[in-house]
Order: sequence, then C-alpha cells, then structure tokens
Amino acid sequence: MRGEPERRFFFRGRPRSFRDGETLLAALSRESVPLLHRSVQYHRPQGAFCGIGHCTGCLVRVNGRPNVRACRHEPAEGDVVSTENAWPSASVDLLAAIGFFAPGGVDTLHGLRRPTFATPIYQRLVRRLAGTGEPPTSEAARALVAPPVDRSCEVAIVGGGDAGRAVAAALVARGVRPVVLERRLRPPAVAGADVVPATTAVFLPAPPEGAQRRFSLLAFAEPARGVRLDVRSVVLATGGYDAALLFRGNDRPGVLSADGALELAGPDARHLPFRRAVVVGGGMRTAQVIERCGDSVEAVVALGEIRPEVVRAASDLGILLYPRSLLLEAVGRRRVRAVRLRARGSGSPSTLPCDAIVLAHRRVPNSQLFFQAGAKMDWRPGVGAYFPNVGADGTTSVPGLFAAGFVAGVAPDAYSSVAELLASAIVETTARAPTTPDRAVPPSPPTELLGYYRELLRVPGHGRWVVCPCVDVLLSEVEDAVRSGYRGIEVIKRYTSLGTGICQGRYCLPDALLLLSILENRPPSDVGYITQRPPVVPTPLAAFAGFPAMTATEDSP
Amino acid sequence: MTFGRGSYRTVVVGAGIVGLFTAYHLARAGGGPVLVVDRGFLSSGASGRNGGGVRQQWETRGTVRLAHEAVQAYRRFGREFGFNIWFRQTGYLFLAENATELARLRTVHDVVSAEGLSSKVLDASGVARLVDGIAPGAVVGGTFLESDGTLYPFPAIWGVYEVARSLGVEVALGVEALGIEVRDGRVAGVLTSKGPVGTPTVVNAAGGWSGEFSRRAGLEVPNVATRHEILATEAMKPFLDPMVVRASDGLYFSQSMRGEIIGGVKVPHRPGTARGQPTSPEFLPTMARALVGLIPRLGAIGVLRAWSGFYDDTPDGFPVIGEDPRLPGFVHANGFGGHGFMLAPATSRRVAFVVLGQPTDLDPAQFSPSRFRAPTAAAAAERLQLG
Repeated sequence: MRGEPERRFFFRGRPRSFRDGETLLAALSRESVPLLHRSVQYHRPQGAFCGIGHCTGCLVRVNGRPNVRACRHEPAEGDVVSTENAWPSASVDLLAAIGFFAPGGVDTLHGLRRPTFATPIYQRLVRRLAGTGEPPTSEAARALVAPPVDRSCEVAIVGGGDAGRAVAAALVARGVRPVVLERRLRPPAVAGADVVPATTAVFLPAPPEGAQRRFSLLAFAEPARGVRLDVRSVVLATGGYDAALLFRGNDRPGVLSADGALELAGPDARHLPFRRAVVVGGGMRTAQVIERCGDSVEAVVALGEIRPEVVRAASDLGILLYPRSLLLEAVGRRRVRAVRLRARGSGSPSTLPCDAIVLAHRRVPNSQLFFQAGAKMDWRPGVGAYFPNVGADGTTSVPGLFAAGFVAGVAPDAYSSVAELLASAIVETTARAPTTPDRAVPPSPPTELLGYYRELLRVPGHGRWVVCPCVDVLLSEVEDAVRSGYRGIEVIKRYTSLGTGICQGRYCLPDALLLLSILENRPPSDVGYITQRPPVVPTPLAAFAGFPAMTATEDSP
Repeated sequence: MTFGRGSYRTVVVGAGIVGLFTAYHLARAGGGPVLVVDRGFLSSGASGRNGGGVRQQWETRGTVRLAHEAVQAYRRFGREFGFNIWFRQTGYLFLAENATELARLRTVHDVVSAEGLSSKVLDASGVARLVDGIAPGAVVGGTFLESDGTLYPFPAIWGVYEVARSLGVEVALGVEALGIEVRDGRVAGVLTSKGPVGTPTVVNAAGGWSGEFSRRAGLEVPNVATRHEILATEAMKPFLDPMVVRASDGLYFSQSMRGEIIGGVKVPHRPGTARGQPTSPEFLPTMARALVGLIPRLGAIGVLRAWSGFYDDTPDGFPVIGEDPRLPGFVHANGFGGHGFMLAPATSRRVAFVVLGQPTDLDPAQFSPSRFRAPTAAAAAERLQLG
C-alpha cells in the first residue's frame, strides 16, 4: 500500500480498500472485479464494458442511490456499495431462470395479455422484475443537493482532451480566457483557462434567433451540481468512443471497449484487468491498445485487413494475427474464457482461449450536442456515423458553434494548426470559411462494415444475440419488426425499445443503423437517426432542480 | 403508383390514435375503402409522445361517459388487437395544495360520482398512502379514481394499425396532405405530396397540425397547437401506482411498467410548431423542481431523456367532432387538447357514424364544429387540461 493510510468502503457488507483518486471500479478491479450487474430482463451476467460512464455494466447502489456507475464514482470512507436487480446477488442470481426458460426471449409486446382477468397479476410480476434498482433513499437525495453554477462567459470548450486543450491554448494566446468543461474526473490543467473537471455537458439547445444570439449550455458536475453557461461561442471537442459489436455474449464480463481497457489500465498500465486479451480491430486504436497493454495481448482479430504498423507492433511482441475474421461468440458462462471466430467468407470456427475481448475496431464521434444545436450533419460511410459539417476553421452551420478534434474529422497531427484557425475565427468573428467535404476521415480500418454485418446476419442462431444490452433487445425482435412492415430506426426503436435504456442508444445505434440498412435494403443514411434528446447522459434530477425558476423569452423559437 | 386506388370513400389525414381508430371503425362498419395519410412515421406525433394516461375524471358528464367507454375499450384491447398495451388500472390521483383547489376537485368528484364511478376524496394522509415519499405539507388532499390508469401508447398504435390494415385500410406514411379539392361546394379529393386522390369525405385527424390543415382547406378554425414537454427517468423498482396530477402547475407523472418516472409540467408557452419539436431550456429545471419538491428522494434519480409534442387546443377545451357545415364532406376529429389517447376509442366510433351519415349521441353544444361561431350563452368548458 506504499504507506498510504488504509481507507475502506463496504461492498456487499465486506470491507474493501481503496486509494486516493481511484474509482470504485478501479478499486474493485485491483484484485478482480466481482460480478456487478445482471442484464435487466434475462439476468445474464454483464460486465463493465465502456469504463467511461455510459453502459449498464457497472451500475451499483451506493449509499442508497441506485444506478451509480462504479467507473465514475470515487469512493469515500465507509461508502456502502451493493449490487442491484439480482436475487439473491449478482454473482448467484436465480432470476437468470427467466432467460433459461424463455431462450427465445419474452414477448412483452404480444404476450401476457390473456386471459384479461389475469393481466393485473402479470403486471405486478413484470413491474417487480423490471427496473434496475430500488428507488433512492431521502438521505441519498439530500447528499446530492449542491448550489448550481450559473455564469456567463465568452467561449466555452466542451471536452478537455488533446483537441480541446489545443483550442484553449490558442484562445489564451489571443487574450481570451475560455471555460473548458471536461468529463474526466481528473483532467490536466491548461494555463490561462478555467478547466472544470468531472463535468458533462448534457444539453445545448439551438440559440434563439436575433442579433444577440447566445447559447445556454446545460451541464452537471459529478455527482449532481447543475452548471449553466450563458455563452457567446461554443467549441465542441467531444471526441469519440469505441463502438460495440454484435456477437453472441457481447456483454459478458470481460468484453471491454478499448476506452474501458485503456481507462482501467491507467496511464502506466499498472492494473491491467486482463492477462491474455484478444483485441478486435486492425487500425490505429488497436495500435494504441497494444502500445499500452501489449504484454497482456494474446491476439489481434480484425474484421477486415490489419494495418502494417499494427502487424509490426504485434510481431515484435509475438501477438497472433487473425485478419478478415467474423466474431461469433464470447465463450464463458460468467466471464470470458475464449472467443470463437471464423475466417470471413467461409471456414470452420476456431476457438481462442483468452480472458478479455477488447473492442477497438470502430471509433464513432460524440455528435449528440451538434444534433441538439441543429447543426448540419453528414453521414460518413467509412465510419458508419454522422459527423458535423465543418469548415476548415472549425465553423459549423450554426453561427457561434465550432467543432474541433476527432468529432470535426481532424487527424491528431493537425489539432494544433486547426486550433489556431479556429481561435482566430472566434476572436475575429470572420465570415464562415468554405466547407471542405473531403477532409481527412478519422483513422478507421477499412472494414467494409456493411459487408461484415451482411455476413453476420447469415450466421445460424444470430436471432438470440443481444442487440441492445441496456434493455435486453434480441436481434430476432428487430428482424420480426422489419418483417411486420415497420421501417426506419425511429419506428424500430419504438417497436422494440432498442436504444431506450441507460446509454440511450450510444452503443446499440451504430450496429442498428447498419443492420436496418441491410434488412430494409436501403443505405444506412436513409434509415434515419434517433433524435438526440437531452440530456446526453443520465443526469440526476437534483442537478436540474437546483436552478432558480426561469421564464421564457418572447422571441424564442 | 403511390396509392392502391385512384379514389376512396374516405381519406383520413393523420395516422395517430384518433385517425387509426376512425379508419378501423369505418372499415368495420363497411365504410371502405379508406386511405390514411400521415406526413411523418407511425407514432411520430402526439400519439407517440404522450404519458399514456387514461382517466375518467372530467368536469362534464358527457366527457366522463366517453372516457368510461374508452376505458372499457382499452380493457378489451389485448384480446381484440393482439398487442399488450399494459393498461394498468391503478388510478389517477389529483392533488390539491389548498382548500380552494380541493373544493374545485370536489365538484369534479360530484360529476364523476353522478356517472356511477367510485371516485374518492382523500385527505393529506390518504394522499401520502398513495404517494410513497411525498414531502410533508405538500398537499391538503386530493381525489382518486382507481379505475383510471395508464397504458403503453406504442403497442396501441401498432395494434390498431395492423388490425385496420387487415380490414383493408390503406395507410400511406410520409405523405403530407397539402389541401382539399372542392367541387360543387363539397369535398371532391385531397391534394397530397404524392399527388391527388379522389374522395367525397376527408377526416381531419391531424392532431397538432389539424388547425393548419383546416386552414389549407379554407376553413377558419380556432385550434391552436401548444407545445408540451415530457421526460423519462431511469427505471426503478415499483414504488408508485397511480398517475399523479397537480392542477396548479400542470405537473403529472406516473411510474411506467418498466419502472421509469414519465411525466411533464407546463412551461411558459413558446408559440410556433417547429417541426423538430425541440425541448426548451426551461423544461428540465422546471420539471425537476416540481418533481423533487413533491417527492424529495427523486433528486437522486437520473433523467434519461426529454421530448415534446403538440396539444391541439380549442378555446373551450372540448374536442371538435362532426362535419363542417361550411364544407360538406370535411369532417373534424381534432381539438383533443392532449387527450386524444384517452378518448379516441369512444370518439372515433362516433366519427365513423358522422362519416356514414348516421346520428350520434354527441351534444352539439359541446362537440360540434359550429359551436365557436354561435356560442350559446351558458357554454360549458373543460379546464382540466392535464396529464
């Protein structure tokens, strides 16, 4: 313990130690992460997947507050932590019998409606089984009350990563002191800028028309302090995240996004949550994972080709390479023990023993705030996602709204040069630079994503794969909906409940758009998109309740 | 060819719950062929944006009767339409913050009781027994009717849509009704974004856009689209059974079958019917304050998403049902003021009667389209425009 005083929280009644600056998930994973979560309907074991506060995998109850993300919570002395929605516990959960007795899923859309007199009984049962946790206690709510931050500033930058910090520095050099909202709990500082840590921007409405256009940006600081900025210019440097992938058992403990693997590993890779991982992907993100955790990587499995630099790095470390592969299954009942895959096109399945599957195959942008603000968006087939339409100087179709970094389609080596142009555009309020549609698409492996999903839909038994782990929606439910004549992502969402859970479609939507494109036989951009509703991440009511009452302005839209 | 035929007996504008139920009743009564057009996708309007409340507590006996008929229809829905709408009759609770409000709720209670429904007047402790964790002193009492309830709106849409189609109704989505073709002073067809279609009867069931469509047909109507906003929280284990409603600020919420708190509150009106139906900056703080003020422990639960939709409001709060005397063949089924889902099974049956030229039991002073031009001296009004 390097002389640190022993500090303890209680996990399911047992004391566990933690260190300063460590998240609950990191503290639990130092030995090995106990099973924290079960899927909401079928009670499959679920693991911490994203590591950055979006998925359902590490939701626990802390001091009477449900749905706390273990990866976002820094424990305090004496914290009482328990698991939820499992009986008697997440590690031994008898409710998993639901999945056992109804292997094809429970049809709550058509089933459980007859005889009519029995419906109140079904309803009581289903209500009892639904819901991730018991309601919060009054004490838990009281502990969250914090006075809000309500201030105005000239420039706000959302995202304090490399791109956001480059813009901040360029603005400081021009005499502007920007406010930088950063979601990470302990971000690095920027000289001359106000970096607000642990703060997530959740709502950026389109500004009202008129000469005095200003943005009203809503955010919250962990755990529940409301933050409202009245601001003239907003720079969104919200970056991207590693997407999920469809295969059997894709939410099993041990399946991690590259975000999650890197977050849990920490900058010095001291506490790797695996010893022999299989990394999925053949591009730059895979290279990053190998660079940080290479000694604990067993194999690289790519949906398409593997880039030469990844091949070089892997062969130096004796890592096996499986290009052009189809992932079939995460093997292992309570956590990943192996991965089953086969070569694309044909071939018989083979099994690779491993203790983790790290998904680094596809990085998609955090575009939510651009959608909310009404910015013009472009579909990028190579990535399979929408990016804002951005000018060379970071301007978007919304005056006063700028984009920087990955989300703007800028490659990392150009962050600082674009930041200079962007800062000048903000300070000088020049006319919008012309859009350059063929900008460097962010690095992503040429996976021919649609071809991959087409092949995946021919795998026998794929109907039982989980397409939305938050709400437990099976792929067969999506196929049934399309077969019944429902079309478009907005209707499929309402028909199947896909994308209505804790992550609000962040992890199922990138898959679902491609699947629907194939099932409906039209391009992904014609399938539509789920309206990006506020808040971007679940936000405690306490954070919004702290603001004083407001009245609408007459000229607002 | 865009449509299955060149002309129809009836064209219904709007594939929401009102339009679909109307088409269903028409098809069942042999009033086909019927075409339903909607400019959006299925459930894109208020029918897919509401909180799922179904109540029978109203200020006028005529509305109570219609609502009661709707409740009976929703009880049978699973059997007749093949979809489980999870219609849960665990009551509607109206809250009173002071004696004046309680007195007003009592008058509603009297109307409801006169229709034979067992509404109850509760004191503060009676309310506290129904709302676990309510802040002390938040209310003086309320009224409660257990046979009211909530349902899950989407499967209701799918059910009526599928059964109507199996009865021969044609539903064209993504098709906008642009106007009316008039010949010899009466409806002869509908102009749509996919071309003209012939019909002697058009039913305006366009919800928040019905005023706009009537005006496109040259009919001045008092319908106003009002944006209302709503949110859903993270799902919790069940702790709240009834739909809870507070008249003073328009707060309403219930706990869904999945465990989310779903509800809304009135925010200052912003005029206009922007197509994107965006959430306003005021809504989340206003709703959070109202909800946490009433049930403090909800401060520790997360908001998942907020969205908005349009009420189709009329000056007296009653819907408009009937043929427009200025334009024979133009039938109104609109102005539901946020209560289309609650009443549609009952009102749509009567709209079908109107289309088929049969008499209905609807009081013209309350429902007819001509009531706004010649209001009677002692006109009633429905002010319980909530949840």
